[in-house]
Amino acid sequence: MSEIIQVTILGLALGGVIALMGSGLSLVFGVMRIVNLAHPSLIIAGAYVTYWGFKLWGVDPIVMLPVASLIMAAIGVLIYRLMFAREAKSARYSEMTVLLTFALAMMVEGLLGGLFTNTQRVTSPDYATAAFFIGDVFVPKGQLYAGIVSIVIIASLSLFLKYSRLGYAIRATTQNRDAAELLGVNVNFISVLAFAIGIGLAGAAGSLVSFVFSFFPAKQWEWIAMLMSVVVLGGMGSILGTVIAAFSLSIIAAFVGTWVGATWSTMTFFLALFVILLVRPQGLFGEKPELA
Amino acid sequence: MGKLKFVLAATAAMLMSNAAYAETLRIGASLPITGGLSVSGEKHKRGYELCTKLINEAGGILGRQVELIVSDNRSDPATAINQYERFINVDKVDAVYGTFSSRLTFPVGSVLSKYNMVHPIPSGGALRIYAQGFKNMFYFQVNAAEYTGKDVVGMIKALIPADQAPKSVAIVHADDFFANAIAAGLLGQKVIDPANDKQIADLAPGYLADAGIKVVMEEKWPEEGFNDWLNLANSIKRSDAEMIIGLTASAEEAVQLTRSLKTVGATPKLVYLSQGAQTEYIEGVGKEAAEGVVIHTTWHKDVPFESTIAGKPFNNADFVKAFEAEYSAEPDEDSAIPFAVCQGIEQAIIGAGTTDNAKMGEWLNARTKDDPVRTVLGRFSWDDIGLPESKSHIMTQWQDGQMRFVYPTGEFEGISPMAYPKAGF
Repeated sequence: MSEIIQVTILGLALGGVIALMGSGLSLVFGVMRIVNLAHPSLIIAGAYVTYWGFKLWGVDPIVMLPVASLIMAAIGVLIYRLMFAREAKSARYSEMTVLLTFALAMMVEGLLGGLFTNTQRVTSPDYATAAFFIGDVFVPKGQLYAGIVSIVIIASLSLFLKYSRLGYAIRATTQNRDAAELLGVNVNFISVLAFAIGIGLAGAAGSLVSFVFSFFPAKQWEWIAMLMSVVVLGGMGSILGTVIAAFSLSIIAAFVGTWVGATWSTMTFFLALFVILLVRPQGLFGEKPELA
Repeated sequence: MGKLKFVLAATAAMLMSNAAYAETLRIGASLPITGGLSVSGEKHKRGYELCTKLINEAGGILGRQVELIVSDNRSDPATAINQYERFINVDKVDAVYGTFSSRLTFPVGSVLSKYNMVHPIPSGGALRIYAQGFKNMFYFQVNAAEYTGKDVVGMIKALIPADQAPKSVAIVHADDFFANAIAAGLLGQKVIDPANDKQIADLAPGYLADAGIKVVMEEKWPEEGFNDWLNLANSIKRSDAEMIIGLTASAEEAVQLTRSLKTVGATPKLVYLSQGAQTEYIEGVGKEAAEGVVIHTTWHKDVPFESTIAGKPFNNADFVKAFEAEYSAEPDEDSAIPFAVCQGIEQAIIGAGTTDNAKMGEWLNARTKDDPVRTVLGRFSWDDIGLPESKSHIMTQWQDGQMRFVYPTGEFEGISPMAYPKAGF
């Protein structure tokens, strides 16, 4: 029994971080139909901001989180203005963004590699490798703190989207961009804002990732498939779906890793992606695509 | 008149640069500067570049300055193959340096063999690479990865009293060319060529069985994309193994595994990792967790290996000094090994008196224990398939934040006593 509890805890712990990593990706797709393949590279950029704050001044990664978020959000505004604003009304916008963000991912990787080399980095606050022990069961402190912070951020984002005027505008733009514009929503501003929030979330995830996983610029390619699995399973654009998918898949992967083998735990994410695309392409909480 | 002067000057400059180009000795290296193997790839680049710089400062090879052409293969085997084809057919290089990792070296071997190029291999320890029967492969490490376990077990037998030695082991490893090869030797598996199902070697009963150490857990993780380290560490802890063998394919995996073992509170007597000699390891895991961890290496900064650059003495300590001056960082084996490859090729060209690769290969094949290639990794001569003769791994151990070499004893000065058992993480 203790093994089942332990594995569930480890799955939940991993799920919290993955949920935050995926929520920015989901938000950006939901509002702007941008399939942001560069999201993991921007998470890594946020992790570097945190790493240097920790390394140079000893600032705790969780304390660095708002700094990394703001810096990345500002970079998000710049990226949107330079790469996406002019194409927003293109009929093939979503398809184009796949290519644009792929190029962006390559550029960010090259830039980070040039600035910081490809040496692996990780931040090491005391809690990163400590745990609470309760009998036979342990709860890893680093993952626990990262999970709690993730949930607080995602809950705050949900409340913002649900109850603030800007949140209404973002949701309206998500549901129907043209109708929102007719009703007076400044969809261009809302798009910039949503993109900045999405990239700010990448920065926040980067801060948490910096002490949970080691990272280097090329690490992004390992994360994109996992994040796409989570976002597609949850339903592209549904943050709630992303969170539920992240926790579900992480717990399943933990049990697969324990009972079947570590080789297969990673496969859990890809298998879920494959099955959901066959059975329910819109994901658990996504909208059914309209037929042309 | 002004225009005429400009044209004449430009023509003269072009002729001069062409002449310089013709005299330059060109060497190509395809490395994983980006992608999953980029951490080691970047360091290999530094090793090649530093060696080239020192050679050029000393007057070049056979009076010719060396031009090093490095291409990023993005950790992709197909790209690595294409880049070596390009080096040979387009860039018209005189020689090549090998790439990093068995995964990339294996396919590159057939390309270089096709063009009869000397293939000096900095990283590519899997026996399968050498069993292909290609001429002129020269491995610049200790031995095929399958035989690494011999030194691990040798260290245990030599340094730990029999009644205190670990009796059980959990062996976990990456599902990777290199890590699988070490595991095969430790576990006594057969090495099969998947292309034709031919048996290359039967390693039974395996080094662990030979030492009387019982395997209580064996697990492998996928080559890429694995994140569930805590769960793996938890399984290792629950196995109650007295020894943990972590065959990681990269320093990054070694960091993740060690941090996770610390988090779950594992308490083995002995931990051996296949990677983790790099400075990033100690930075990532901290002194306390690293204390007592044993890692096999090909190189250590304090080992007094003697070698040459441009025919002049250049020992291991000189390499460390030059590296620190160039990069403001301490080198590790990921830079020392390619440096040795570069030294080997320099000596081969000087020894053969030409960049004719067939003659360079003959010269390298003619090396013996008494007349070896001398590098910062020590002396090299090779057997028929390109594996080094009579070399042992250096078993190192993290002690108080420093890498100390603890085995083999009696071979070098400066050996440290082994710390045993490990006191937690």
